[in-house]
This record gives sequence, C-alpha cells and structure tokens, in this order.
Amino acid sequence: MMLLALALPYAGFTALCLAMERHHEQVLGRRRIAPGLRRLLRLAGWLLLLASPLPCLALAGWGGGSVLWCGMLTAAALLLTLSLPYAPRLAAALALALPALGLVLAS
Amino acid sequence: MKPGFRQSMAWLHTWSGLLVGWVLFAVFLTGTAAYLRPEISLWMRPELEVTRPGPDIAPRLMEAMARLAPGSPNWSIGMPTARDPVARVFWRDPQAPNRRGFRDAALHPATGEVLTARATRGGEFFYRFHFDLHYMSPIVARWIVSACAMFMLVAIISGIVTHRRIFADFFTFRPGKGQRSWLDGHAVAAVLALPYHLMITYTGLVTLMFLTMPWGAQLAYKGDRAAMNADIFGNAPVTRPAGRPAPLVGIGPLVEEAARRWEGSSVGRITVQNPGDARATIQLVRQDSERISFNPQSLLFDGTTGALISATGEAALPAAETRGVMYGLHVGRFAGPLLRGLFLLSGLAGSVMVATGCILWAVKMRQQAAKRGRVGFGTRLVEHLNVAAIAGLPVAMGAFFWANRLLPAQMEGRAEWEIHLFFAAWGLCLLHPLLRRGRQAWVEQLGLGALLFGLLPLLNLLVTRRHLGITLAEGDWIRAGFDLGLLAIGGALGAIAWMVARPKVAGARAERTAASPLATAEAAE
Repeated sequence: MMLLALALPYAGFTALCLAMERHHEQVLGRRRIAPGLRRLLRLAGWLLLLASPLPCLALAGWGGGSVLWCGMLTAAALLLTLSLPYAPRLAAALALALPALGLVLAS
Repeated sequence: MKPGFRQSMAWLHTWSGLLVGWVLFAVFLTGTAAYLRPEISLWMRPELEVTRPGPDIAPRLMEAMARLAPGSPNWSIGMPTARDPVARVFWRDPQAPNRRGFRDAALHPATGEVLTARATRGGEFFYRFHFDLHYMSPIVARWIVSACAMFMLVAIISGIVTHRRIFADFFTFRPGKGQRSWLDGHAVAAVLALPYHLMITYTGLVTLMFLTMPWGAQLAYKGDRAAMNADIFGNAPVTRPAGRPAPLVGIGPLVEEAARRWEGSSVGRITVQNPGDARATIQLVRQDSERISFNPQSLLFDGTTGALISATGEAALPAAETRGVMYGLHVGRFAGPLLRGLFLLSGLAGSVMVATGCILWAVKMRQQAAKRGRVGFGTRLVEHLNVAAIAGLPVAMGAFFWANRLLPAQMEGRAEWEIHLFFAAWGLCLLHPLLRRGRQAWVEQLGLGALLFGLLPLLNLLVTRRHLGITLAEGDWIRAGFDLGLLAIGGALGAIAWMVARPKVAGARAERTAASPLATAEAAE
C-alpha cells in the first residue's frame, strides 16, 4: 500500500508530463503528439492523480492521510523531475513498473 | 513608466528573499534536522543501550524517582518510546546549583536505574537553534525568526506570482546549463514541495503567535499567564504542599484509567507535584505522537487517593484545536517513519530552495557587474556570505558531531563546548572566503563538509563501541540508520563539491545538449 501511495501520483504525473511536447520528445524522441493520444494521456494522468489519495487515506485515515498525500505528491513529482534529464526512458518505465509492483505488494 | 504587477512582485521576491535568506537557510536546515531529534540524541549518547520498554514501566519509574529525588517538590517523567527508548526525567532540587534548580537524568526503560552518558544537548540543540538561535535571549531570537518567517511567506507568495510558467515548467529541470540550471533547481524545489513550504512557514508563525501577537490572549486572561498556560498548554496548576506527609497512590490504576479514556493510547509524560505530601497531584499527559493535533490531553489526579480531579484537552474549542493542528503539523511528531521521511525530503527541498535563491541572486549581481565592468562591494559581500551560510553550516554541523565524539567524557561544561565548537567551525567558514575567492571557497568548504560527514562512521569505529559493525549485527537500526545517513550526506556534499569544482564538465555537457535536437527545438520556440 505504501508503494502504491507513491506509484499512483508518479504514474499520474508521468502521463501529464508525456502529454507535454518538451517531455514527450525527451522520452520518446518525437515532438509531435497525436491529439487523441494527448487527450488520453491527460485523462489518464488526472484520473490517476484523482485516485492517488486513496492509498494514503487507507494507510493513515483522513487527517494523517491528507498530509501523507501531499508528501507523496511532492516525492513523486521530485523523483520524476530529477530523473527525467538523466534517464528519461527509465523514468517513464517506472510509471508502469511502480503501480504494477504496488498492486502485487498490496494484494 | 510604472512597473507592472509581476515586476513589482519579482522585485519583492528578490529582496524579501535575500534579506533573510541566510537566516532562513539555517532555520530550514536545522529545523529539518530537528525531525530527527530523538535519533540524533540517541546517536550522540553512544553509552545508552537500546532496550524495549518493559510493560509495566510506570510503577518502576515512580519508585526510581522516589529514590532519586527525595524531598523534591516536582518530578517529571518522559516515558520511553520506540524512537527514544530511555525514560527522560527531570525534577526540581532545592539544592541544585543552577538557577532554576532542575536536575535531569536518563533512566533504564525496564529497570528504572540511572543511566550514565556523556553530557550533550544532542538533537535538542538543532531543535532549539531553529527558533531560539544561540548566544542571545530566546525572546529576541524568536522575534528575529518570526520576522524572517514573515518575509519567507512574502517571498513564497510573490514567488508564485513571479513564476509565470508554473505549469509549463512543472517537470522541467535542465542540469549543466549554468544559471538556467540554478533557476530550474530553485523552481523545482519551490513548486514541487509548495504545500510543505506554505504549511511549514505559516504554521511556524503560528507556533510563535503568543509572542508576536499577544494582545488577544492578554485581554482574555487579563495578564494571568498561569491561567492561560493551564488552558492552552495543559500545565497543571501549581499547588502548595500541605505539610502533612501522606504516601503516593499507586500509578498503575491511573495509567489504566488514562488508557481507557484515550482509546488505548499511551501516557507520554507523568508529572508529580508535592510527592509524599497530603496535597500531592499526579498529571498524566497523552503521548504526543498519536494524533496530529498538539493540544496536550491530560488527566489530573489526586496524588493520595487517585481520584480524578480534572481532564483537559478532551473537547478542545475550535480555535484551540486549529492552533493544535497547526502546531502539530509543524513539529510533525505524529508522523510515522514514512511520513517523517517525506517531511525530511520536503525540508531538504526547502533548504535547497533558499540556497539556490541566494546563489541566483549572486549570479545575477555578478552578471550586472560584468556589464558595468566592475565588481562592487555588495556583490562580493553577498557571494562571501553565501559561501559561509550555505556551505559553512554543514561544516559546523559536522564539527558538532565530531566534538561529540572527541571531547573527553568527563569534561567540565562538555555539552556547551560541543556548541561552542559548532559556532567556532562556522566562524572559520565565515573567515575562509577572505583567503580563497569564489569557486575555490565553495569547493573547499563543501569538500570539508563531505569529509566531516563521510568520516564520522569511521571515527565511530575508532572511539565508540556503537559503530556499524556492531549496530548492524545487533539490529540497532536507529544508530545504524543514522551512520548510513551520515555517509549519504557526506556523499551528497562530495558530489556537489565535485560538480562545482568542474565547471568545464558542465560546460561540455551544455554543448552536447545544445547539439541535440531537443535544444534546437527549444531554441526555435
């Protein structure tokens, strides 16, 4: 559950990030994003961010959970932003690997 | 021409940030260290064994206090916890030499016997320093820190207004590109941890509000500070002894009563007034790590009959609860290991934000000076102070830890000398840039900090029995984790020193990226 609390905002941020031309190119080497794909990435990103408080609330209740969520948003965004320039593909791959691993560990 | 709103805000951001940046960096970094206050204290007292607290420790500790402090009118027992596994007690001793007549000791969490350890302020020093500073009256210091925090709040808000590409640059960090990298780093550290920065600055102001804005409380309590403290902080009212001896009631049932009222929560502190007297009272305070709100909940019992006299903090009024939650958020004592790690990370981001802000200011002044063809005194002063404030503080913190390990255990005034050496090291860092200019000063101080932190685990191996070889094998995770953390800090400082020392590498990387399609596309934007 702890990993999922980090993985959901990380995946959400990565999807939003890939919907931006500069970062799309950084990761995938193409600057152009098909409009459909961009919409899909944005939608997925916001949905993941919307779902991201759930593991935190499950871990620590309303009070502690909301503080934990803010901390997790920060940690996820920092991890993504600081790893992007050094290992863009790895950073993007983590967005798939972390939630998968988190689901396995949480189940 | 009248400057636009954004320009005015940029001006405000620059100047409000710079004026207090150096103090803020120290407050942020030592405040971040204060999240690890019990861990630092334990590491700095390598003599103390880590044992799990016994189940019925309260009666043992009460017996120990009766032996330790006969004739004392006042005891206070801080119960052992998982993070700080010894009982910390203090009591008033009419014969004690120091001014307020308090003595203190650490007691074994299972047997209640007195533990001896080297004298040190431990993590308490960083905690105190981050709002009381040192070598000055705490009241003056708190005014200074409050004013700086106010400027910080102004700098944060004006910074948000000034930063016109918050969302477009949300994930943007471009290393190895000189000033642009510093600006990216400043924005990343600021924006991504923004909820934390706003929270910690605002709640920091709230913790000191009774000092900076006392009028409401003065009016409501008509200057009766004791009544106010009793209401707000749950301090038990002082009672005079009756002069008739009477035995203290057993503590066991009182602790059970407390657990029942607090949904199974444990007792964090036991305060006894007039033990052995007919008017004895026993106050139990709830463990503060179990709720966010820092409104202490306490129960006051008659010390001879065990009858409950009063309960405070159970139904806090909205304003008191608001303050309690803000205070609780600031000190983060409710946080488990995971959340504490996130608080540490955010605190470090805050330190980086302030440091990069100060550095950016100097970089910009340097550029303007280069245009004018003359580097003024102001530019040199800011550059000089930047080195001492930013690279010098880790050196001072490292020196504090080295002093803890190297000063003789029986030395007179030992705890104070650790602190003197902290400031002596910092003072030398303030002088050092006079001899070594610019980049050289940065590299040398960062490198020294890296050595001081990185070699501490090795020093541990030489002078204590609590080195990694033993702590890891024994499962003493607090001390082992701390040593590993010191190694990591040493490594990080070394990496920064290395990056600062090799601007040519950074330049080459910038050229390489300039040749990449990404940079050309950006240039075309």
